[in-house]
Amino acid sequence: MTSILRLFRRGELHSLAAPYALDALEPREHGRFEKHLKRCDGCAAEVRALREDAVRLAWSTAAPAPAAMRERVLLAVRTTPQEPARAERAPSRARRPPFSPFLVPLASTTAAAALVVAALFGMQASRTQDRLEEERAQAREIAHVLAAPDARAGTGRDTDGQGIGVVASVSRRTAVVTSSGLAAPQGERVHQLWLMRPEGRPRSLGLLDGDTPLIATELDPDASSLAVTVEPQGGSPQPTTAPVVQLALESLGFGE
Amino acid sequence: MEADELLVRVAGGDQKAFEELYALVSGPVFGLVRRVVRDPAQSEEVAQEVLLELWRSAARYDPGRGSALAWVLTLAHRRAVDRVRSARAAGERELRMARRANGPAFDHVAEEVEAGLEREWVRRCLDRLTTLQRQSVTLAYYDGYTYREVAERLSLPLGTVKTRMRDGLTRLRDCLGGVA
Repeated sequence: MTSILRLFRRGELHSLAAPYALDALEPREHGRFEKHLKRCDGCAAEVRALREDAVRLAWSTAAPAPAAMRERVLLAVRTTPQEPARAERAPSRARRPPFSPFLVPLASTTAAAALVVAALFGMQASRTQDRLEEERAQAREIAHVLAAPDARAGTGRDTDGQGIGVVASVSRRTAVVTSSGLAAPQGERVHQLWLMRPEGRPRSLGLLDGDTPLIATELDPDASSLAVTVEPQGGSPQPTTAPVVQLALESLGFGE
Repeated sequence: MEADELLVRVAGGDQKAFEELYALVSGPVFGLVRRVVRDPAQSEEVAQEVLLELWRSAARYDPGRGSALAWVLTLAHRRAVDRVRSARAAGERELRMARRANGPAFDHVAEEVEAGLEREWVRRCLDRLTTLQRQSVTLAYYDGYTYREVAERLSLPLGTVKTRMRDGLTRLRDCLGGVA
């Protein structure tokens, strides 16, 4: 590209500062502009000023939030881990600090369910539209589990404090399992989730893929625990390694 | 305590500070989200997600880069716009918007009914913009349209919309600057 063209393109990009401040860029442009922002010294200050201008438009919109929302948010805060401070944050995904297993009876309103879903998946700033749609579809499916009167949440952690988050309902025989900071296994290997039963062999519930939630159905009410093992690509019919994470299901109402 | 200081404490895991922060920002967050999303149930959902996200990612706030309230409202706006765009992509809103487009349409100044000092002030400042500046800015900020969509709706070239947005925001700054 000639330098004039390049300058022209930079000018083009630069003119996106105001739409950017108004959140009025399409995802692709948004990404390109943010890249430009990192290389352009003068831009950061300008964008900050424009952002503050845009925020002035919000002044006129304040309205009292519904009272019930406060209780729900404060309850969620008690059970939601925080991202660690900037310096120690992993670049791709927030690592969660070691956290004692929590156990919350989940309220059954949709808004409360949505809140838990958001907490579980830690929706991030720059998801693409497709990804958002996908997550919403899943969220709806998961909301059914969360809305069950007997839904319970729990976490299983490995020695590094990483592991799985689970929301399960015995009455629906369904569990939603998410990886919570589990590092991807080395090489061509995968994490496989198992249902351990007092009688009978472990049953594969599927492969855990990044932070995509796994929805396990037809769970045996007498199941004793969930376990994650490292298996070759595609998974194994039976576990071939010792579990890296295990979660007793008794606390979630199973095993009776 | 100011929002800036509270947010820093929240980043350190202080739940009491979060309660105080909630009292300060829940109204502005909820109001802004409702303005953009409009549907009450969805607004509540989005506002909750935003408030919980404040707890989760408070550590991302950098006091050196602007006020806490601006950070919070920027986040809230972003989430509200995401929601409204996916709803629109699903076609739910399109019909309603098309119906509204038949009227004198996009000028939100006319829609402002509630009183209140800040509301009044913003309204007055929006009034001082040219019609195109005002429409470009409010269609994007209050309705969540991209600048391309704004250009289409107003039948203007893209470049013009970008310029009107910038000029509109700058004028707003001059008018509202004193009351920050």
